[in-house]
Amino acid sequence: MIELTRVTKRYGPVTAVDDLSFTVQPGHVTGFLGPNGAGKTTTMRIILGLDAPTSGTALVCGRRYRQVVRPLRLLGSLLDATAVHGGRSAYDHLLSVAASNGIGRGRVTQVLELTGMDPVADRRIREFSLGMKQRLGIAAALLGDPPVLMFDEPVNGLDADGVRWIRLLLRKLAADGRTVFVSSHLMSEMAQTADHLVVIGRGKLLADTPADRLTAAGLPGAVLVRSPQAGELTGLLTARGATVKVTSDGGLAVTGLAAPVIADLAAAGGISVHELVPRSPSLEEAYLDLTGASTEYHAVSPDDHAIRPGDRAEADR
Amino acid sequence: MTAAGIPAGAAPGAALAARARDLLAFEWIKLRSIRSNYITMLAATAVTLGATAVVAHALGATRAHQQSLPITPVTAGFLGYAEYLVLPLSVLAVLQFTAEYSTGLIRTTLAAVPQRWTELAAKIAVVGAAALAIGEVLAFACFFLTQAILSGRHGGLSLDAPGVPGAVLAGGCLVCICALTALGLGAIIRHTAGAITAAVAVIYGVAVLCLALPAPWKADLGRFTIAFAASQVLARHPQHNLFSPAASMLVLFAWPAVTLVAAGLVLSRRDA
Repeated sequence: MIELTRVTKRYGPVTAVDDLSFTVQPGHVTGFLGPNGAGKTTTMRIILGLDAPTSGTALVCGRRYRQVVRPLRLLGSLLDATAVHGGRSAYDHLLSVAASNGIGRGRVTQVLELTGMDPVADRRIREFSLGMKQRLGIAAALLGDPPVLMFDEPVNGLDADGVRWIRLLLRKLAADGRTVFVSSHLMSEMAQTADHLVVIGRGKLLADTPADRLTAAGLPGAVLVRSPQAGELTGLLTARGATVKVTSDGGLAVTGLAAPVIADLAAAGGISVHELVPRSPSLEEAYLDLTGASTEYHAVSPDDHAIRPGDRAEADR
Repeated sequence: MTAAGIPAGAAPGAALAARARDLLAFEWIKLRSIRSNYITMLAATAVTLGATAVVAHALGATRAHQQSLPITPVTAGFLGYAEYLVLPLSVLAVLQFTAEYSTGLIRTTLAAVPQRWTELAAKIAVVGAAALAIGEVLAFACFFLTQAILSGRHGGLSLDAPGVPGAVLAGGCLVCICALTALGLGAIIRHTAGAITAAVAVIYGVAVLCLALPAPWKADLGRFTIAFAASQVLARHPQHNLFSPAASMLVLFAWPAVTLVAAGLVLSRRDA
């Protein structure tokens, strides 16, 4: 179990983590979501005792990480797979980390097999691809057979097979009854792995919810309506407080009113409706809606920057 | 899946010993598993012995017709040694921290051993022991090599001559002292280039500056530097305007002590 209580971290004028409180429970995979720069990595560094919080406490199974002796037997983590010395072999890297926590050679061989790294154990790490380094980092996290595991963006750099392998591994670790805390900036990734979601933006907690309830808790779904009298219907609906957007194929996306209310209003107004589809937002949309206001770097939509053929000639000159 | 690391029933002494063994193994495996560490060491050893032989030959040739030289048979054994062994070993010591910072490995290290003073102590023990072992072996090797070359030209000293064993032992110690000072500077500065520059400045640069100072200041400031203090400790006839050999030995120990305490303070307060 990981417990954060009112954790704040400031770097000079920048607040990276802002009064963050949540608990990560054992027995399921908890996804830690947020856009780039939301404070996910900083939060994990605070849990690991690498960074000291400006205020608040982070506890792992009720203890401060910095006070734990042989902590790899309590919490295994992978923050940055490239943070290894390239001149060392995979085996020696794991052997040194194992030794630091009184873990034997037998376990090093086990985690090498578990992560499929045994054939390359004697090769130097600088020859490894990012995917292999991720596996090596996961092997190191598993060394102490810890009840709590924490991974920062573990699927980065993995191929499709690797992604599937991580997903299965995370689920298996959670099924063992361990606490599994995994960050990602991709909702699509977490939608397939996590049972529970903690969403942050600009260091603040946005949602702490079972994954299947983020949809329900997040947004009222839009209702897709098609009508030959779309203009009249729009007037009627907006008068009742609904927000109406015209979709690319000429339909109306109505938010703020439930499907039966829309149908009744149309009937009362004598407007024929050809299609009326309540659409619950995907996890992805719920996530974007939650974090949309909190993204640190806003990219301009590609359409706004479309370069017309004439402009390109100008720019080249 | 036990949360407790060390068995609950273990006596505190046994637990402490187990932990010390773990941490020494951790640092030792890291030190021995980098190939370039061996290459640097072998190259430094070869160059040190080679330079010592050249100095001894030159000394032997001049002694025949020139009696009062500042270089004695004892110090001759350390000329090649001080230049070519102290520096590479100090660079290796700097790298023990700066390479971990530049690769990011320091975060793995501190996640494995979050008690930062303890981690620093483990590095001090392993780097210090390695530097002391190499230093002593080469100090004796350089002494015997020099005397073997000089003995053919009636200038050699034996190891049991007065003041000689102490000087040779202290010479080996000097490598350890410089390496530990460099280790501390690496932890404080974190960047390899900056830390190596600082180590060279502390070990040689300050002394060279002092040599350029006018008379009273040269000795007054110079006696606090590693190089002046080392020459006092190693000399058979110490200069009387500098600290005594015993006080110079304290100066030598003060450098790594102060640097490493500063390193510990910085390490325990800074985010990794």
